[in-house]
Amino acid sequence: MATPAIEVAGLRKRYGEGEAAVDALKGVDMIIHPGEVVGLIGPSGSGKSTLLKCLGAVIEPSAGRMALAGQTIFDERWKIRDLRALRRDSIGFVFQAPYLIPFLDVTDNVALLPMLAGKPNHEARRQAMELLEALDVGHRAKASPSELSGGEQQRVAIARALVNRPPVILADEPTAPLDSERALNVIRILNRMAGQYQTAIIVVTHDEKIIPTFQRLYHIRDGRTFEEAGEGRSA
Amino acid sequence: MISLAGRDILHSWSKYVFTGVGLGLLIGVTLSMAGIYRGMVDDAQVLLRNSGADIWVVQQETLGPYAEPSSLRDDVYRSVLGLPGVADAANVTYLNMQIRHDERDVRVMAVGFEPGQPGEPPFLSAGRHIARNHYEVVADARTGFRLGERIRIRRQDHTVVGLTRRMVSSSGDPMVFLPLKDAQEAQFLKDNDAIVNERARTAANPALNRPGVPGLLDAIQASQTTSRSANAVLVRVASGWDSEQVAEGIRRWKHLEAFTRVQMEEILVSKLIETSARQIGTFLVILAIVSAAIVSFIIYTMTLGKIRELAVLKLIGTRNRTIAGMILQESLGLGLIGFVIGKTVATLWAPYFPKYVLLLPGDAIRGLVAVMLVCALASLVAIRAALKVDPATAIGG
Repeated sequence: MATPAIEVAGLRKRYGEGEAAVDALKGVDMIIHPGEVVGLIGPSGSGKSTLLKCLGAVIEPSAGRMALAGQTIFDERWKIRDLRALRRDSIGFVFQAPYLIPFLDVTDNVALLPMLAGKPNHEARRQAMELLEALDVGHRAKASPSELSGGEQQRVAIARALVNRPPVILADEPTAPLDSERALNVIRILNRMAGQYQTAIIVVTHDEKIIPTFQRLYHIRDGRTFEEAGEGRSA
Repeated sequence: MISLAGRDILHSWSKYVFTGVGLGLLIGVTLSMAGIYRGMVDDAQVLLRNSGADIWVVQQETLGPYAEPSSLRDDVYRSVLGLPGVADAANVTYLNMQIRHDERDVRVMAVGFEPGQPGEPPFLSAGRHIARNHYEVVADARTGFRLGERIRIRRQDHTVVGLTRRMVSSSGDPMVFLPLKDAQEAQFLKDNDAIVNERARTAANPALNRPGVPGLLDAIQASQTTSRSANAVLVRVASGWDSEQVAEGIRRWKHLEAFTRVQMEEILVSKLIETSARQIGTFLVILAIVSAAIVSFIIYTMTLGKIRELAVLKLIGTRNRTIAGMILQESLGLGLIGFVIGKTVATLWAPYFPKYVLLLPGDAIRGLVAVMLVCALASLVAIRAALKVDPATAIGG
């Protein structure tokens, strides 16, 4: 069996101290393998966003263990000094809204990450174009984000998340602003990209219509995760 | 790595240009204020340069003739001429006055001089030099007087026979050059009513109108109506002589005050316009503070408008120094746009100022450095706000 892309064990997160303390995560366990697209669903306040922020190395968990591609990044404390570089190189983000940088064209929105990692501009742009072509938005490479449709913007956001070939992509309600057809298209793209680049993708969603498309599904309730045992799930 | 600031400015160019215009007008005012100060200094230096003198001899214990009133008998120059190291010496008078012209009053400095001597205008832009002892004048072009025109100075009409340029007093008033005798009358001769009154007073004084002393009253009255005074004697030093050495001789042997060119420049530039310079300096400081506050507010507001983008940039791994650099560069870009507009408008509106405005390239460079410094300082508040943005805000929940 290949090394898991994400391995989470007993992850806890407590906000505040003393009587005012709130346990947002009470022991999350999760293993996701490269190439898997996994759904994470749960009601509001269940801890979805907190888990996403912990997995994204944006907030520090209170206890537990997290590993990315076999490398322990948290074990009671951060094991990585440069979390910024970790996010840049090992974690891709897709948001509810695309949040593209409005003053950069489509190519540079995608190429920005490799540039930040120190790649030469031409190499970063070549890499970006490759992905944009794969996501069928290559023809809008020079367009400004404001000139794109919602679906195109989300595909560019996916390209941005993938461009550094991270082992993990965290997608936070990526289909929320899209109609059914476009939403399913985005999920199809995520599945295709996960297989093609062997990236593990966690999709946080409330969207009923895309839930059946996940290979595996995690429920989160009161800070704890439960894997739904389901057969026949496929992209 | 691409320039995020450059892209942002290009993307929102209209916002930057309009903001830059507002800032530029403020910078234009600042540069103009510096130009006004430089103009005042230059006016003072032009006054000294154009007089053609090396030494100014004035009344003892005064800072005359420009900074304080000074009065000398007009035969003093003869004794000065006899001193070693003196090549030329000539009387000169200076009188600030208003002349009526084309239904308006023109503020001028009337200069009385002797043709061919120090004090004469060094060049003409039109017409000729004064050729008669009376009733002819040479005027600076800024007076608005025209060749052949007749202007009234005190009780006499004078014809404008020549025009010159950049001949101004230390306060920037254009000069009108007239023969020394006319200038002496204009300044020292009393009006007819005052003469009649003075004569009556003298005649009523028994000590001055003694019976049996014929001619005494007439002699006294004649002396009262004399205009045989000057404000200063301008001295040209013979070649090979040091001005300070010659001035020291005048102070020692003639009991008069003598200022060399360096000393006179000190009086005019450092003392006479000191208050104005401080006034302008204070105004410049206030303008710099106002500009800094405006740039700071604009950059801060622009940064707050990009909070979500900044959060995304931080989330995807952009370094703090890249974000700080972006805001700093945008602030400097705004300053640069403002400076270019400010310099342009200051140059365009300078000729319309009533007084001379001298915009020196050195001042422009210093201004640019100051603008960049102010913009860099002004960006600190926005940088602080940007660095405090939590990347987690890019993720919902």
